[in-house]
Amino acid sequence: MKPENPILAGLALIAGLLFLSPVLYSIWMSFQTVDAYYAGELGFTLDNYARAVGQYNFARYLLNSLIVSGLVTLLGITFATMAAYAFARYSFRGANLLFAATVATLMIPSHISLIPNYLTLAKIGLLDSYAGLILPAISNGFAAFFLRQYIRGIPKALDEAAYMDGASSLQVLWRIIVPLSRPAIASMALYIFITEWNNYIWPLVAVGKQDLYTLQIGLARLYRINPGEGLIDWPLVMAASTITILPVLLGFLLVERHLVRGITMGAVK
Amino acid sequence: MTMLRKLTPYLFVAPLMIFIALFTYIPILASLNLSFREWNFLTPDMPFVGFRNYEQLLASRDVWNSLWVTTLFTVLSVPLRLGLALMIAAYLVRETMHVRLLRGALFLPSVTSTVSIAVVFSWVFSTDYGMVNAILGTFGLGKVQWLQNPHLALWVLVFVNTWKQIGYDIIIYIAGLQAIPRELYDAAAVDGGKRLHVFRRITMPLVMPTTYFLLVISVIEAFQVFTIVNIMTRGGPAGATDMLVNLLYEIGFVLFDIGRGSALAVLLFILLVGLAILKSRIIGRKVHYEA
Repeated sequence: MKPENPILAGLALIAGLLFLSPVLYSIWMSFQTVDAYYAGELGFTLDNYARAVGQYNFARYLLNSLIVSGLVTLLGITFATMAAYAFARYSFRGANLLFAATVATLMIPSHISLIPNYLTLAKIGLLDSYAGLILPAISNGFAAFFLRQYIRGIPKALDEAAYMDGASSLQVLWRIIVPLSRPAIASMALYIFITEWNNYIWPLVAVGKQDLYTLQIGLARLYRINPGEGLIDWPLVMAASTITILPVLLGFLLVERHLVRGITMGAVK
Repeated sequence: MTMLRKLTPYLFVAPLMIFIALFTYIPILASLNLSFREWNFLTPDMPFVGFRNYEQLLASRDVWNSLWVTTLFTVLSVPLRLGLALMIAAYLVRETMHVRLLRGALFLPSVTSTVSIAVVFSWVFSTDYGMVNAILGTFGLGKVQWLQNPHLALWVLVFVNTWKQIGYDIIIYIAGLQAIPRELYDAAAVDGGKRLHVFRRITMPLVMPTTYFLLVISVIEAFQVFTIVNIMTRGGPAGATDMLVNLLYEIGFVLFDIGRGSALAVLLFILLVGLAILKSRIIGRKVHYEA
């Protein structure tokens, strides 16, 4: 790395903070009392978080988001890895067609399935349930495509050596392919998790019961019902908003480079 | 044993394929079917009505307004995103510590909840206590009704969308720029090329495949914008931000007009798949270009 020019570094820091200032300010605001906020004074409090979590049910929404995004990620990455392995290592009848059908999902806009999926889940009684939130989000063509490209880069000699030792195809997948694809699998799991965490339109139509709201729905409703009388209770709304972005924000700080790598590999290749 | 061996790959792809079929492909056919029917959830049967839903849509001012607003949003936001992103990426392509930090800051919004961003910017642009009007106030300027003014609301959405997505564009551009061979720049330096000249004659043409990619991706994305509309304006004021997916949501899930909602979904689908096919042509050209 080249030595730093301190002036440039300082300017870059200021530019970054300015760019993020709306979000940074919203976090700051979430620690202000509503009276102090409207009076333009300072008044530190944790009460907004206490109210968001207690009175406005955000602890439950956080739990729902974790359950839904967690299960979607777990099932999504498992199915994508299995399919990617078959596409990368087996030649079988219909493989090209099935792979094309997988890749084509990248071009299919999700809004087309909104009404039919709603009707399907209504018919089998899964609206207003975790299953209803999770099932339509599990298949991820992009992850399967991405992982297939990655697995093809792993030397086939490794598989063959394992088969010689009497391993089954499941063992080859689990003992050789999965460990060697860890960075790619991690990138895709993260991508699936973030996408599902931030998903809005599907939970908006699929869930009516308050106990099943995800954070996104909870936050949108809280903002819409305007809990302040006349004036919006912005500090409370911002506390809820901070709860909504925090898990992804923390994850981002930990694994930014994985994420960036995954995104650029997918787009440029 | 051989039977089982032949079956193995099918067992591996089956779970993914079943879910793709159930929740992606069958719904396309179902939408097509529903678009020729009349149904509102309440009546016991759904009669076939031919092209009536399509005729009604094409005769509806809301639909044409929506198409116009969505096109306008796209035409305003896509060049803004790509132009800014390329300029910023050209600076951020180097590897120093402060550049890394700045890249991280710019990228952050693209993985942040759109609902949160929409709520935060509803405050930023709110008339009485918002951040923008407060800043304008310190310069002695009056309050502006950003989200209540039909001439301004769409611009605000363009701004918020750009703010959220530009980090993604920048990251992709940086990857594209890093693929340009260094020797070209060295040669230009020997010839005494001015910076702007080098940018126009070397950087812009060689990063063209990346630009094409981002162009089509962002156009498709712009045509599907929903969350910021739903939270910040609900399509208002007076339909000024009523973009296509918002209209689809209103027809399907507020008015519960399943037939007309499905017909609109099919029309938008045809439009977007057309664009996507254009994109795959372009990516085909890119491969050619590199070889």
